Amino acid sequence: MFQVILSTQWKWARLPLLLATITAFTVPILSVQGAGGSQIQGAMAFSVLATMENWAVWYPLLAAAIGLLLAVTAWGPDHRQGHTYALSLPLPRWQYAMLRLGAGFVLLAAPAIGIALGSVLASATATVPLGLTAYPAALAIRFTLAAVLAFTIFFAIAGGSTRTAGYVLATMAALLIGHRLLGVVAIDIDVIGPILERLYDFRGPLGIFGGRWMLIDV
Amino acid sequence: MSDAIKTQGMWYRAGPDFELHDVSMSVPTGSVYGFLGPNGAGKTTTIRLLLGLHRADRGDISLLERDVPKDMPDILQRTAYVPETPHLYPSLTVAEAVRYHGAFYKAWDESWTDELFDRFSLPPNQRISKLSKGESGKLLMLLALAQRPELLVLDEPTEGLDPIVRRDILGTLLDYVSEQGATVLISSHLVHELERICDWVGLMDQGRLISEMPMQQFKNGIKRLRIIDPPGTYDNTPFEVLAREPVNGGVPGEMILVQGWSADMAGYFSGVGASLREVVDLDLEDGFVEMLRAYRAG
Repeated sequence: MFQVILSTQWKWARLPLLLATITAFTVPILSVQGAGGSQIQGAMAFSVLATMENWAVWYPLLAAAIGLLLAVTAWGPDHRQGHTYALSLPLPRWQYAMLRLGAGFVLLAAPAIGIALGSVLASATATVPLGLTAYPAALAIRFTLAAVLAFTIFFAIAGGSTRTAGYVLATMAALLIGHRLLGVVAIDIDVIGPILERLYDFRGPLGIFGGRWMLIDV
Repeated sequence: MSDAIKTQGMWYRAGPDFELHDVSMSVPTGSVYGFLGPNGAGKTTTIRLLLGLHRADRGDISLLERDVPKDMPDILQRTAYVPETPHLYPSLTVAEAVRYHGAFYKAWDESWTDELFDRFSLPPNQRISKLSKGESGKLLMLLALAQRPELLVLDEPTEGLDPIVRRDILGTLLDYVSEQGATVLISSHLVHELERICDWVGLMDQGRLISEMPMQQFKNGIKRLRIIDPPGTYDNTPFEVLAREPVNGGVPGEMILVQGWSADMAGYFSGVGASLREVVDLDLEDGFVEMLRAYRAG
Protein backbone atom coordinates (compact mmCIF):
# COMPACT_ATOMS: atom_id res chain seq x y z
CA MET A 1 0.00 0.00 0.00
CA PHE A 2 2.74 2.40 1.03
CA GLN A 3 4.70 1.55 -2.08
CA VAL A 4 1.88 2.56 -4.44
CA ILE A 5 1.18 5.74 -2.47
CA LEU A 6 4.88 6.59 -2.66
CA SER A 7 5.00 5.86 -6.38
CA THR A 8 2.06 8.18 -7.10
CA GLN A 9 3.55 10.98 -5.05
CA TRP A 10 6.90 10.49 -6.75
CA LYS A 11 5.17 10.69 -10.12
CA TRP A 12 3.38 13.92 -9.23
CA ALA A 13 6.37 15.62 -7.59
CA ARG A 14 9.38 14.25 -9.43
CA LEU A 15 10.15 17.15 -11.80
CA PRO A 16 9.97 19.98 -9.26
CA LEU A 17 11.61 17.71 -6.70
CA LEU A 18 14.50 17.08 -9.07
CA LEU A 19 14.86 20.82 -9.58
CA ALA A 20 14.76 21.39 -5.81
CA THR A 21 17.40 18.69 -5.27
CA ILE A 22 19.70 20.25 -7.84
CA THR A 23 19.16 23.65 -6.21
CA ALA A 24 19.87 22.21 -2.77
CA PHE A 25 23.07 20.67 -4.12
CA THR A 26 24.10 23.89 -5.85
CA VAL A 27 23.47 26.55 -3.20
CA PRO A 28 26.33 25.56 -0.83
CA ILE A 29 28.72 25.23 -3.76
CA LEU A 30 27.72 28.63 -5.09
CA SER A 31 28.07 30.17 -1.64
CA VAL A 32 31.65 28.92 -1.38
CA GLN A 33 32.40 29.97 -4.95
CA GLY A 34 31.03 33.42 -4.13
CA ALA A 35 33.42 33.63 -1.21
CA GLY A 36 36.38 32.81 -3.41
CA GLY A 37 36.33 29.02 -3.52
CA SER A 38 39.72 27.39 -3.14
CA GLN A 39 41.34 30.84 -3.26
CA ILE A 40 39.97 31.81 0.15
CA GLN A 41 42.75 33.31 2.24
CA GLY A 42 42.98 33.71 5.98
CA ALA A 43 42.68 37.48 5.78
CA MET A 44 39.39 37.14 4.03
CA ALA A 45 37.50 35.72 7.03
CA PHE A 46 35.16 38.68 7.39
CA SER A 47 34.44 38.75 3.72
CA VAL A 48 33.75 34.98 3.77
CA LEU A 49 31.32 35.37 6.66
CA ALA A 50 29.55 38.23 4.86
CA THR A 51 29.15 36.11 1.71
CA MET A 52 27.92 33.13 3.71
CA GLU A 53 25.41 35.37 5.43
CA ASN A 54 24.13 36.58 2.08
CA TRP A 55 23.54 33.00 0.99
CA ALA A 56 22.10 31.95 4.35
CA VAL A 57 18.63 33.25 3.52
CA TRP A 58 18.25 30.75 0.68
CA TYR A 59 18.45 27.63 2.84
CA PRO A 60 15.31 28.16 4.97
CA LEU A 61 13.48 29.55 1.97
CA LEU A 62 14.37 26.48 -0.07
CA ALA A 63 13.41 24.16 2.79
CA ALA A 64 10.03 25.89 3.12
CA ALA A 65 9.47 25.83 -0.65
CA ILE A 66 10.24 22.10 -0.83
CA GLY A 67 7.85 21.44 2.06
CA LEU A 68 5.14 23.43 0.33
CA LEU A 69 5.76 21.74 -3.01
CA LEU A 70 5.56 18.22 -1.57
CA ALA A 71 2.46 19.04 0.46
CA VAL A 72 0.63 20.53 -2.51
CA THR A 73 1.54 17.64 -4.80
CA ALA A 74 0.58 15.10 -2.11
CA TRP A 75 -2.98 16.40 -1.84
CA GLY A 76 -3.52 18.17 -5.18
CA PRO A 77 -4.87 15.24 -7.22
CA ASP A 78 -7.22 14.24 -4.40
CA HIS A 79 -8.49 17.81 -4.08
CA ARG A 80 -9.14 17.99 -7.81
CA GLN A 81 -11.27 14.81 -7.65
CA GLY A 82 -13.15 16.03 -4.58
CA HIS A 83 -11.42 13.28 -2.54
CA THR A 84 -13.98 10.79 -3.87
CA TYR A 85 -11.39 8.20 -4.82
CA ALA A 86 -9.41 8.47 -1.60
CA LEU A 87 -12.56 8.25 0.51
CA SER A 88 -13.84 5.22 -1.35
CA LEU A 89 -10.68 3.22 -0.63
CA PRO A 90 -10.98 0.64 2.15
CA LEU A 91 -8.82 2.21 4.83
CA PRO A 92 -9.47 4.72 7.58
CA ARG A 93 -8.94 8.32 6.58
CA TRP A 94 -6.23 8.89 9.19
CA GLN A 95 -4.30 5.94 7.81
CA TYR A 96 -4.52 7.28 4.28
CA ALA A 97 -3.26 10.67 5.48
CA MET A 98 -0.40 9.01 7.36
CA LEU A 99 0.61 7.05 4.27
CA ARG A 100 0.71 10.24 2.19
CA LEU A 101 2.64 12.01 4.97
CA GLY A 102 5.12 9.14 5.20
CA ALA A 103 5.62 9.11 1.43
CA GLY A 104 6.37 12.83 1.57
CA PHE A 105 9.03 12.22 4.25
CA VAL A 106 10.66 9.61 2.05
CA LEU A 107 10.71 11.99 -0.92
CA LEU A 108 12.35 14.65 1.25
CA ALA A 109 15.40 12.41 1.28
CA ALA A 110 16.28 13.58 -2.24
CA PRO A 111 16.87 17.29 -1.44
CA ALA A 112 18.39 16.26 1.91
CA ILE A 113 20.96 14.14 0.11
CA GLY A 114 21.40 16.93 -2.43
CA ILE A 115 22.29 19.52 0.20
CA ALA A 116 24.47 17.05 2.13
CA LEU A 117 26.51 16.23 -0.98
CA GLY A 118 26.68 19.87 -2.04
CA SER A 119 27.82 20.97 1.42
CA VAL A 120 30.46 18.26 1.72
CA LEU A 121 31.76 18.98 -1.76
CA ALA A 122 31.81 22.74 -1.17
CA SER A 123 33.60 22.34 2.17
CA ALA A 124 36.12 19.95 0.68
CA THR A 125 37.04 22.29 -2.14
CA ALA A 126 37.34 25.42 0.01
CA THR A 127 40.35 26.49 2.03
CA VAL A 128 38.63 27.62 5.20
CA PRO A 129 40.35 30.62 6.81
CA LEU A 130 41.85 30.21 10.24
CA GLY A 131 39.27 30.74 12.95
CA LEU A 132 36.38 29.64 10.76
CA THR A 133 34.92 26.14 10.44
CA ALA A 134 32.81 24.42 7.79
CA TYR A 135 29.64 22.76 9.07
CA PRO A 136 28.35 20.62 6.20
CA ALA A 137 26.68 17.98 8.35
CA ALA A 138 25.02 20.49 10.64
CA LEU A 139 23.75 22.51 7.69
CA ALA A 140 22.37 19.40 5.96
CA ILE A 141 20.66 18.12 9.11
CA ARG A 142 19.21 21.52 9.87
CA PHE A 143 17.96 21.89 6.30
CA THR A 144 16.37 18.44 6.41
CA LEU A 145 14.62 19.11 9.71
CA ALA A 146 13.37 22.47 8.44
CA ALA A 147 12.04 20.84 5.26
CA VAL A 148 10.34 18.10 7.33
CA LEU A 149 8.74 20.74 9.55
CA ALA A 150 7.61 22.86 6.61
CA PHE A 151 6.20 19.82 4.84
CA THR A 152 4.32 18.70 7.95
CA ILE A 153 2.76 22.15 8.46
CA PHE A 154 1.80 22.64 4.82
CA PHE A 155 0.59 19.03 4.60
CA ALA A 156 -1.78 19.62 7.51
CA ILE A 157 -3.09 22.84 5.98
CA ALA A 158 -3.37 21.43 2.44
CA GLY A 159 -5.04 18.25 3.71
CA GLY A 160 -7.88 20.21 5.22
CA SER A 161 -10.79 21.61 3.34
CA THR A 162 -10.63 24.84 1.37
CA ARG A 163 -12.50 26.36 4.30
CA THR A 164 -9.75 25.34 6.73
CA ALA A 165 -7.09 26.82 4.48
CA GLY A 166 -9.29 29.94 4.27
CA TYR A 167 -9.43 30.22 8.07
CA VAL A 168 -5.64 29.99 8.30
CA LEU A 169 -5.15 32.64 5.64
CA ALA A 170 -7.90 34.84 7.10
CA THR A 171 -6.26 34.70 10.53
CA MET A 172 -2.93 35.75 9.04
CA ALA A 173 -4.59 38.52 7.02
CA ALA A 174 -6.50 39.74 10.10
CA LEU A 175 -3.24 39.96 12.04
CA LEU A 176 -1.56 41.95 9.28
CA ILE A 177 -4.53 44.29 8.83
CA GLY A 178 -4.86 44.74 12.59
CA HIS A 179 -1.19 45.59 12.80
CA ARG A 180 -1.57 48.18 10.01
CA LEU A 181 -4.69 49.75 11.52
CA LEU A 182 -3.03 50.16 14.88
CA GLY A 183 -0.16 51.89 13.11
CA VAL A 184 -2.55 54.24 11.29
CA VAL A 185 -4.28 55.34 14.48
CA ALA A 186 -0.87 55.79 16.11
CA ILE A 187 -1.41 53.19 18.77
CA ASP A 188 1.98 51.84 19.58
CA ILE A 189 1.14 48.17 20.03
CA ASP A 190 3.16 45.68 18.04
CA VAL A 191 0.80 42.77 17.27
CA ILE A 192 2.92 40.78 14.88
CA GLY A 193 6.33 41.27 16.40
CA PRO A 194 5.74 39.24 19.57
CA ILE A 195 3.99 36.50 17.61
CA LEU A 196 6.86 36.21 15.17
CA GLU A 197 9.28 36.34 18.05
CA ARG A 198 7.51 33.46 19.75
CA LEU A 199 7.36 31.48 16.54
CA TYR A 200 10.94 32.06 15.43
CA ASP A 201 12.57 32.13 18.84
CA PHE A 202 15.01 29.26 19.10
CA ARG A 203 12.57 27.53 21.46
CA GLY A 204 9.58 28.36 19.22
CA PRO A 205 7.97 25.91 16.79
CA LEU A 206 9.55 27.63 13.78
CA GLY A 207 12.82 28.32 15.52
CA ILE A 208 14.70 26.12 13.12
CA PHE A 209 14.05 28.63 10.33
CA GLY A 210 15.68 31.46 12.28
CA GLY A 211 19.31 31.92 13.37
CA ARG A 212 22.46 31.43 11.33
CA TRP A 213 22.34 29.18 8.28
CA MET A 214 25.99 29.26 7.30
CA LEU A 215 28.10 26.57 5.78
CA ILE A 216 31.26 28.30 7.00
CA ASP A 217 31.01 30.06 10.32
CA VAL A 218 33.07 30.92 13.34
CA MET B 1 -33.49 -13.07 2.91
CA SER B 2 -31.09 -10.49 4.36
CA ASP B 3 -30.51 -7.10 2.81
CA ALA B 4 -27.15 -6.12 1.39
CA ILE B 5 -28.19 -2.47 1.68
CA LYS B 6 -30.65 -1.13 4.22
CA THR B 7 -31.49 2.42 5.12
CA GLN B 8 -34.04 3.52 7.70
CA GLY B 9 -35.37 7.07 7.82
CA MET B 10 -32.34 8.56 6.09
CA TRP B 11 -32.37 12.37 5.86
CA TYR B 12 -29.75 14.58 4.33
CA ARG B 13 -29.79 18.26 3.46
CA ALA B 14 -27.51 18.74 0.46
CA GLY B 15 -28.05 22.49 0.19
CA PRO B 16 -30.73 25.15 0.46
CA ASP B 17 -32.73 23.65 -2.42
CA PHE B 18 -32.37 19.93 -2.01
CA GLU B 19 -32.98 17.40 0.69
CA LEU B 20 -33.34 13.65 0.92
CA HIS B 21 -36.51 12.89 2.87
CA ASP B 22 -36.86 9.84 5.03
CA VAL B 23 -35.34 7.40 2.55
CA SER B 24 -35.88 3.80 3.64
CA MET B 25 -34.60 1.36 1.07
CA SER B 26 -33.80 -2.33 1.13
CA VAL B 27 -31.66 -4.04 -1.45
CA PRO B 28 -31.94 -7.82 -1.00
CA THR B 29 -28.71 -9.78 -0.97
CA GLY B 30 -28.01 -11.30 -4.37
CA SER B 31 -30.34 -8.99 -6.24
CA VAL B 32 -29.62 -6.64 -9.12
CA TYR B 33 -31.41 -3.50 -7.97
CA GLY B 34 -32.15 -0.83 -10.54
CA PHE B 35 -32.20 2.64 -9.04
CA LEU B 36 -34.33 4.85 -11.25
CA GLY B 37 -35.15 8.51 -11.15
CA PRO B 38 -34.96 11.68 -13.20
CA ASN B 39 -31.97 14.02 -13.07
CA GLY B 40 -31.67 15.66 -9.67
CA ALA B 41 -33.88 13.07 -7.99
CA GLY B 42 -31.21 12.32 -5.40
CA LYS B 43 -29.82 9.01 -6.68
CA THR B 44 -26.17 10.05 -6.61
CA THR B 45 -26.57 11.72 -3.23
CA THR B 46 -28.13 8.54 -1.87
CA ILE B 47 -25.28 6.46 -3.26
CA ARG B 48 -22.69 8.79 -1.75
CA LEU B 49 -24.45 8.50 1.61
CA LEU B 50 -24.43 4.72 1.36
CA LEU B 51 -20.69 4.75 0.78
CA GLY B 52 -19.92 7.16 3.58
CA LEU B 53 -18.87 9.93 1.21
CA HIS B 54 -21.50 12.13 2.86
CA ARG B 55 -22.80 11.86 6.40
CA ALA B 56 -26.57 11.52 6.82
CA ASP B 57 -28.22 14.09 9.09
CA ARG B 58 -30.52 11.43 10.46
CA GLY B 59 -31.32 7.77 10.00
CA ASP B 60 -29.54 4.43 9.93
CA ILE B 61 -27.59 2.95 7.07
CA SER B 62 -26.14 -0.52 6.85
CA LEU B 63 -24.25 -2.24 4.06
CA LEU B 64 -23.44 -5.94 4.16
CA GLU B 65 -24.87 -5.95 7.70
CA ARG B 66 -22.28 -3.43 8.92
CA ASP B 67 -22.96 0.12 10.06
CA VAL B 68 -22.23 3.17 7.92
CA PRO B 69 -20.08 5.15 8.62
CA LYS B 70 -18.64 3.27 11.62
CA ASP B 71 -17.50 0.19 9.72
CA MET B 72 -16.58 1.88 6.44
CA PRO B 73 -13.12 0.33 5.90
CA ASP B 74 -14.54 -3.17 6.24
CA ILE B 75 -17.57 -2.33 4.08
CA LEU B 76 -15.42 -0.76 1.36
CA GLN B 77 -13.11 -3.78 1.39
CA ARG B 78 -16.11 -5.84 0.22
CA THR B 79 -17.80 -3.20 -1.93
CA ALA B 80 -16.93 -1.88 -5.37
CA TYR B 81 -17.95 1.60 -6.41
CA VAL B 82 -18.20 3.00 -9.90
CA PRO B 83 -19.00 6.71 -9.68
CA GLU B 84 -20.93 8.82 -12.13
CA THR B 85 -17.78 10.70 -13.21
CA PRO B 86 -14.45 8.88 -13.27
CA HIS B 87 -12.58 9.58 -10.05
CA LEU B 88 -9.17 8.07 -10.83
CA TYR B 89 -5.98 10.10 -10.95
CA PRO B 90 -5.74 11.36 -14.53
CA SER B 91 -1.94 11.49 -14.62
CA LEU B 92 -1.56 7.75 -14.01
CA THR B 93 -1.43 5.25 -16.83
CA VAL B 94 -3.99 2.46 -16.97
CA ALA B 95 -1.47 -0.09 -15.66
CA GLU B 96 -0.42 2.23 -12.85
CA ALA B 97 -4.03 2.86 -11.87
CA VAL B 98 -4.71 -0.88 -11.76
CA ARG B 99 -1.60 -1.52 -9.66
CA TYR B 100 -2.52 1.35 -7.32
CA HIS B 101 -6.11 0.25 -6.86
CA GLY B 102 -5.26 -3.42 -6.41
CA ALA B 103 -2.86 -2.69 -3.55
CA PHE B 104 -5.77 -1.73 -1.28
CA TYR B 105 -7.92 -4.85 -1.67
CA LYS B 106 -7.33 -8.17 0.07
CA ALA B 107 -9.36 -10.17 -2.45
CA TRP B 108 -7.78 -8.53 -5.51
CA ASP B 109 -7.57 -11.10 -8.29
CA GLU B 110 -4.47 -10.65 -10.46
CA SER B 111 -5.24 -13.38 -12.97
CA TRP B 112 -8.75 -12.09 -13.49
CA THR B 113 -7.38 -8.59 -13.86
CA ASP B 114 -5.23 -9.85 -16.74
CA GLU B 115 -8.21 -11.59 -18.26
CA LEU B 116 -10.36 -8.46 -18.02
CA PHE B 117 -7.53 -6.41 -19.51
CA ASP B 118 -7.66 -8.63 -22.57
CA ARG B 119 -11.43 -8.79 -22.69
CA PHE B 120 -11.78 -5.01 -22.55
CA SER B 121 -8.74 -4.37 -24.81
CA LEU B 122 -7.45 -1.64 -22.53
CA PRO B 123 -4.16 0.11 -23.46
CA PRO B 124 -1.94 -0.37 -20.36
CA ASN B 125 0.41 2.51 -21.10
CA GLN B 126 -2.23 5.08 -21.94
CA ARG B 127 -2.72 7.92 -19.46
CA ILE B 128 -6.17 7.96 -17.87
CA SER B 129 -6.66 11.55 -19.00
CA LYS B 130 -6.28 10.36 -22.61
CA LEU B 131 -8.76 7.49 -22.41
CA SER B 132 -11.97 7.61 -24.36
CA LYS B 133 -15.25 7.54 -22.46
CA GLY B 134 -15.72 3.88 -23.34
CA GLU B 135 -12.21 2.96 -22.19
CA SER B 136 -12.75 4.87 -18.94
CA GLY B 137 -15.98 3.00 -18.34
CA LYS B 138 -14.27 -0.33 -18.98
CA LEU B 139 -11.37 0.53 -16.69
CA LEU B 140 -13.72 1.47 -13.86
CA MET B 141 -15.61 -1.79 -14.31
CA LEU B 142 -12.33 -3.74 -14.39
CA LEU B 143 -11.25 -2.15 -11.12
CA ALA B 144 -14.64 -2.84 -9.57
CA LEU B 145 -14.79 -6.49 -10.60
CA ALA B 146 -11.16 -7.40 -9.91
CA GLN B 147 -11.79 -6.54 -6.25
CA ARG B 148 -14.08 -9.60 -6.15
CA PRO B 149 -16.71 -7.57 -4.29
CA GLU B 150 -19.81 -8.88 -2.56
CA LEU B 151 -21.62 -5.65 -3.41
CA LEU B 152 -21.29 -3.39 -6.44
CA VAL B 153 -22.61 0.15 -6.32
CA LEU B 154 -22.71 1.54 -9.84
CA ASP B 155 -23.76 5.12 -10.47
CA GLU B 156 -24.68 5.55 -14.13
CA PRO B 157 -21.88 3.18 -15.22
CA THR B 158 -22.91 3.15 -18.86
CA GLU B 159 -23.87 6.80 -19.25
CA GLY B 160 -22.65 8.16 -22.58
CA LEU B 161 -21.21 4.84 -23.76
CA ASP B 162 -21.91 3.34 -27.16
CA PRO B 163 -24.08 0.19 -27.29
CA ILE B 164 -21.15 -2.15 -27.93
CA VAL B 165 -19.19 -0.96 -24.90
CA ARG B 166 -22.39 -0.99 -22.85
CA ARG B 167 -23.00 -4.58 -23.81
CA ASP B 168 -19.38 -5.54 -22.99
CA ILE B 169 -19.56 -3.95 -19.58
CA LEU B 170 -22.99 -5.20 -18.60
CA GLY B 171 -22.28 -8.68 -19.97
CA THR B 172 -19.14 -8.96 -17.86
CA LEU B 173 -21.01 -7.61 -14.85
CA LEU B 174 -23.81 -10.14 -15.21
CA ASP B 175 -21.34 -13.00 -15.65
CA TYR B 176 -19.71 -12.01 -12.38
CA VAL B 177 -23.00 -11.63 -10.56
CA SER B 178 -24.27 -15.01 -11.69
CA GLU B 179 -20.98 -16.72 -10.74
CA GLN B 180 -20.46 -15.02 -7.40
CA GLY B 181 -24.01 -14.23 -6.29
CA ALA B 182 -22.98 -10.64 -5.67
CA THR B 183 -25.48 -7.84 -5.06
CA VAL B 184 -25.65 -4.90 -7.45
CA LEU B 185 -27.16 -1.46 -6.98
CA ILE B 186 -27.15 0.25 -10.34
CA SER B 187 -28.52 3.67 -11.15
CA SER B 188 -29.19 4.58 -14.72
CA HIS B 189 -31.32 6.72 -16.98
CA LEU B 190 -31.40 3.92 -19.50
CA VAL B 191 -34.61 2.33 -18.33
CA HIS B 192 -34.67 -0.38 -21.00
CA GLU B 193 -31.19 -1.44 -19.97
CA LEU B 194 -32.27 -1.83 -16.36
CA GLU B 195 -35.38 -3.70 -17.41
CA ARG B 196 -33.14 -6.29 -19.04
CA ILE B 197 -30.77 -6.88 -16.13
CA CYS B 198 -32.52 -5.98 -12.88
CA ASP B 199 -34.70 -8.10 -10.66
CA TRP B 200 -35.56 -5.29 -8.23
CA VAL B 201 -36.35 -1.68 -8.91
CA GLY B 202 -36.49 1.45 -6.76
CA LEU B 203 -37.90 4.75 -7.98
CA MET B 204 -36.71 8.04 -6.63
CA ASP B 205 -38.01 11.56 -7.23
CA GLN B 206 -37.48 14.89 -5.52
CA GLY B 207 -35.38 13.37 -2.77
CA ARG B 208 -37.91 10.69 -1.87
CA LEU B 209 -37.97 6.97 -2.57
CA ILE B 210 -41.40 6.64 -4.16
CA SER B 211 -41.51 2.91 -4.50
CA GLU B 212 -39.39 -0.24 -4.52
CA MET B 213 -40.46 -3.71 -5.51
CA PRO B 214 -39.38 -6.79 -7.47
CA MET B 215 -39.09 -5.99 -11.17
CA GLN B 216 -41.62 -8.68 -12.08
CA GLN B 217 -44.16 -7.22 -9.67
CA PHE B 218 -43.52 -3.78 -11.08
CA LYS B 219 -43.96 -4.90 -14.66
CA ASN B 220 -46.95 -7.11 -13.94
CA GLY B 221 -48.56 -4.96 -11.32
CA ILE B 222 -48.63 -1.59 -13.04
CA LYS B 223 -51.37 -1.44 -15.64
CA ARG B 224 -53.51 1.07 -17.38
CA LEU B 225 -57.18 0.01 -17.22
CA ARG B 226 -60.04 1.32 -19.35
CA ILE B 227 -63.18 1.50 -17.26
CA ILE B 228 -66.71 2.10 -18.51
CA ASP B 229 -69.15 3.81 -16.15
CA PRO B 230 -66.46 4.59 -13.61
CA PRO B 231 -67.48 5.31 -10.02
CA GLY B 232 -66.99 8.78 -8.50
CA THR B 233 -64.30 7.43 -6.19
CA TYR B 234 -62.50 4.14 -6.03
CA ASP B 235 -62.92 2.96 -2.45
CA ASN B 236 -61.60 -0.18 -0.80
CA THR B 237 -59.76 -1.27 -3.92
CA PRO B 238 -57.55 -4.38 -3.76
CA PHE B 239 -55.07 -2.39 -5.91
CA GLU B 240 -53.72 1.15 -5.65
CA VAL B 241 -55.07 3.79 -8.04
CA LEU B 242 -52.20 6.03 -9.07
CA ALA B 243 -53.97 8.28 -11.59
CA ARG B 244 -57.27 8.81 -13.41
CA GLU B 245 -57.58 10.38 -16.81
CA PRO B 246 -60.21 10.62 -19.57
CA VAL B 247 -59.85 8.44 -22.64
CA ASN B 248 -58.84 10.36 -25.74
CA GLY B 249 -60.83 10.46 -28.99
CA GLY B 250 -64.37 10.45 -27.61
CA VAL B 251 -64.08 6.86 -26.41
CA PRO B 252 -66.34 6.32 -23.41
CA GLY B 253 -65.06 5.72 -19.91
CA GLU B 254 -61.79 6.63 -18.31
CA MET B 255 -58.29 5.26 -18.00
CA ILE B 256 -56.91 4.54 -14.57
CA LEU B 257 -53.34 3.75 -13.72
CA VAL B 258 -53.11 1.09 -11.03
CA GLN B 259 -50.37 -0.56 -9.04
CA GLY B 260 -50.54 -4.02 -7.50
CA TRP B 261 -52.88 -5.31 -10.17
CA SER B 262 -53.63 -8.97 -10.84
CA ALA B 263 -56.25 -10.51 -13.15
CA ASP B 264 -58.39 -11.89 -10.31
CA MET B 265 -59.16 -8.33 -9.20
CA ALA B 266 -61.36 -7.65 -12.24
CA GLY B 267 -64.48 -8.54 -10.20
CA TYR B 268 -64.02 -5.39 -8.14
CA PHE B 269 -65.42 -3.24 -10.95
CA SER B 270 -68.73 -5.07 -11.30
CA GLY B 271 -69.13 -4.61 -7.54
CA VAL B 272 -69.05 -0.82 -7.95
CA GLY B 273 -71.27 -0.71 -11.05
CA ALA B 274 -68.44 -0.27 -13.53
CA SER B 275 -66.97 -2.55 -16.13
CA LEU B 276 -63.40 -3.25 -17.09
CA ARG B 277 -62.91 -3.04 -20.87
CA GLU B 278 -59.20 -3.17 -21.42
CA VAL B 279 -55.97 -3.90 -19.54
CA VAL B 280 -52.94 -2.21 -21.06
CA ASP B 281 -49.48 -3.58 -20.18
CA LEU B 282 -46.78 -1.03 -19.52
CA ASP B 283 -43.08 -1.58 -19.98
CA LEU B 284 -40.70 -0.32 -17.31
CA GLU B 285 -40.21 3.05 -18.96
CA ASP B 286 -43.96 3.69 -19.31
CA GLY B 287 -44.53 2.48 -15.78
CA PHE B 288 -41.72 4.67 -14.51
CA VAL B 289 -43.05 7.76 -16.28
CA GLU B 290 -46.63 7.11 -15.16
CA MET B 291 -45.62 6.53 -11.58
CA LEU B 292 -43.64 9.75 -11.55
CA ARG B 293 -46.54 11.64 -13.05
CA ALA B 294 -48.96 10.21 -10.54
CA TYR B 295 -46.58 10.94 -7.68
CA ARG B 296 -46.05 14.53 -8.76
CA ALA B 297 -49.79 15.05 -9.19
CA GLY B 298 -50.08 14.05 -5.53
